Amino acid sequence: MALSIEKKLTFPGGTHPNGRKELAAEMRIKAAPAPKELAVMLSQHIGAFCKPLVKKGDSVAAGEKIGAADAFVSAAVHSPVKGVVKGISLRSHVVLGRGPAVIIEPDQQNEGPEDFHKLGVFEDFRLEDYPAETILAAVAEAGIVGMGGAGFPTRVKIEPSSKPVKKTLIVNGCECEPYITGDYRVMVEWAPQVIAGAMLAQKAAGCTEVFLAIEDNKPKAIEAMKNAVGDFSVAGENIKVVTVRTKYPQGGERQLVRALLKKEIPTGSIPPAIGVVILNVATCAAIAAAAVSGEPLTHRVVSVTGEGILEPSNYYCPIGISVRELIEASGGFAESADRVILGGPMMGISIADLSTPVTKTTGAITVLKRGQIEAANYNKVQTACIRCGRCIEVCPAGINPTKIAHTVKNGLIDLAESYYISACIECGCCSYVCPANIGLTGLIKSGKIYLATKDLKVPK
Amino acid sequence: MAEGLTVAPAPHIGMAVSTRRIMLDVIIALVPAVLAAGYFFRFHALIVIGTCCVTAIATEYICNLIRKRPHPGQSLGDLSAIVTAIILAFSVPANLPVWAAVIGTAVALVIGKVVFGGLGYNIFNPAMVGRAFLTASFGMMMTTWVTPATIDSDMCVISASSQSVDIRTMATPLAQSKQAIKNGSGAEKVNNQLFVMFTGEVGGCLGETSVLALLIGGLYLLIKRTITIHIPLAVLLSVFVFASIGYFANPAAYINPLVHINAGAVVLCAFFIATDPVTSPLTIKGQWVFGAGLGALIMLIRMLGEYPGAVMYSVLLMNALTPLIDRLCKVTPSGGKPYAE
Repeated sequence: MALSIEKKLTFPGGTHPNGRKELAAEMRIKAAPAPKELAVMLSQHIGAFCKPLVKKGDSVAAGEKIGAADAFVSAAVHSPVKGVVKGISLRSHVVLGRGPAVIIEPDQQNEGPEDFHKLGVFEDFRLEDYPAETILAAVAEAGIVGMGGAGFPTRVKIEPSSKPVKKTLIVNGCECEPYITGDYRVMVEWAPQVIAGAMLAQKAAGCTEVFLAIEDNKPKAIEAMKNAVGDFSVAGENIKVVTVRTKYPQGGERQLVRALLKKEIPTGSIPPAIGVVILNVATCAAIAAAAVSGEPLTHRVVSVTGEGILEPSNYYCPIGISVRELIEASGGFAESADRVILGGPMMGISIADLSTPVTKTTGAITVLKRGQIEAANYNKVQTACIRCGRCIEVCPAGINPTKIAHTVKNGLIDLAESYYISACIECGCCSYVCPANIGLTGLIKSGKIYLATKDLKVPK
Repeated sequence: MAEGLTVAPAPHIGMAVSTRRIMLDVIIALVPAVLAAGYFFRFHALIVIGTCCVTAIATEYICNLIRKRPHPGQSLGDLSAIVTAIILAFSVPANLPVWAAVIGTAVALVIGKVVFGGLGYNIFNPAMVGRAFLTASFGMMMTTWVTPATIDSDMCVISASSQSVDIRTMATPLAQSKQAIKNGSGAEKVNNQLFVMFTGEVGGCLGETSVLALLIGGLYLLIKRTITIHIPLAVLLSVFVFASIGYFANPAAYINPLVHINAGAVVLCAFFIATDPVTSPLTIKGQWVFGAGLGALIMLIRMLGEYPGAVMYSVLLMNALTPLIDRLCKVTPSGGKPYAE
């Protein structure tokens, strides 16, 4: 890294886990092998479940809508392939536990996405051909949701607003978690498509400025994006590619706003409250595909990586392919592979059911080895909290993790609420640095779940 | 379902730091001062240190048995008992009888730590509790220091087996400085001893005399990030500032601030005692307040009070204030206000 005098943009707190991106960073995106079965979950987004439009025995075409979004905050789901619906059954889901999915058996003739190799080529893109209403309609029809992990329906997110006006669009190319490289490859290989999508989103939401934030450990991506911005003369005027300091969790929305705009989102509030819209680079690419080619969101890039995988790779795969098939395509498990994580090692959720299907929000599968987890955790014995204060130093949300975790442990959830437990972004920095090996993140998450569910009544 | 996979909560990786490692680093950082103690005060000093360590381990083990812990030896693994033992040993004169060291260590562990619930739950620094007990109970023994063996050619070597000991007690620099305050003059004499106070060739408690050895250890801790710079800097700056008040008021009676830093247990406190994570505030802001208060109290007792052992009382008093400091010095959540309490 070159020395530079200017102070790099960053946020208070955060940690520096070992990046380990080199495992999959240089693996070009390739098509996943044809799946034997797809399980398209009916809930791949924040908001109401989709209502299935098909039933057992129906034939479906590639791109056909199979789940309708009735509520405003919801998104449709589509079939990624031509095939036959085998039924609607339950599949594992990392947040829901289990959820309904449309099971589709692909026809034998499917070879994978036809125009896979044309992806990212957007030389003839002209922004003026797409009025804002067209863009919004295309995004809604395509069922695009936030592909960075949260799954918030994008149609709602880029809806223009007047209180307050959505002034700033931040495109999130940080990919701050260790190991994962999906967004990085999207930026390196499909840069024009990402920029096109950013411009479309900007036009739809009415933003006046666009920042594209990339961590400084991705110089190739920064270069690719700068070149792509330069190619689109209209984009060059208001899209700024900004390098931020590599630190986990720079990709969190509050941390991005703090680093780029030096502003704080008020506690309990979301970026639109201060006129900011944040979109992942993959989401932008999907917006471009939807507006320009009318493609629904049926495929995404998934990074399969970690020391527990023999051939780390980045796949362009259909939504609904199982984790097992992607792992097998990547050479299978290495010896003593211990943990399969959907997501990165800091916030990702570990699974045991390998038939869990990939959803629109699954960006990575990280497989870690037992010895390596133990070494990283330093074979820690759990002791009492020694009040060292490291968790407070690294907390990017500016709260007191040890205090909150111990109120939860002792059942004082109301006290936890007054300590701003809801401000926790569950990044895992506190547990990462804790010398006493106290599961701080887990305790705080449990407290939040308790708070969210304590008033719910158990249905009869 | 796949065989052999573990499902565990996030995060799945952790930093290579543990309670045991932190304590081990503190012990390693104390080694230069242990060697200095052995060099200046000879064998008996090492006996005292060793006795304290053994007593600490035994006491904690016995306490675990009394508490009916399923694995009585497990809490010894975090090495905090040994850290307490060494720091307590450093805070007593080199010629303290071994039986007094045993009693002091046992009290430090039991009343300073176990009674509160073990590591992490104690309010007061256990080593300072032990020293306070020894000072109150065996005052004469705790205020009779021996000169370092390297000073005279006819060394006074105190060995465990010798029946008659020839103890040469010389007033420590701090005792001389108190005399200077009373007399209104004579501070110069103490100021001239700055160099030997730095290397450790003066009278004093066995671990606090060699500022050089302690600074080496402190540097090790800072480099390894076992401690942060805030508390040591706060203590040293505070001592310097408050000592300067006396010094500029009356240089003949009050010794030089740099000499104050090298006298007594200030450096030991700044790097090893005040930085005890359990008994110091959680936030950086709080740690600065803690360090500043420590320095102020140390100088208050030294300049206006009669007690030897200013550092010990100051630490205990600031430990008592730590919960209050924690309540007043809170972190601010991003985008919000500090929580009301």
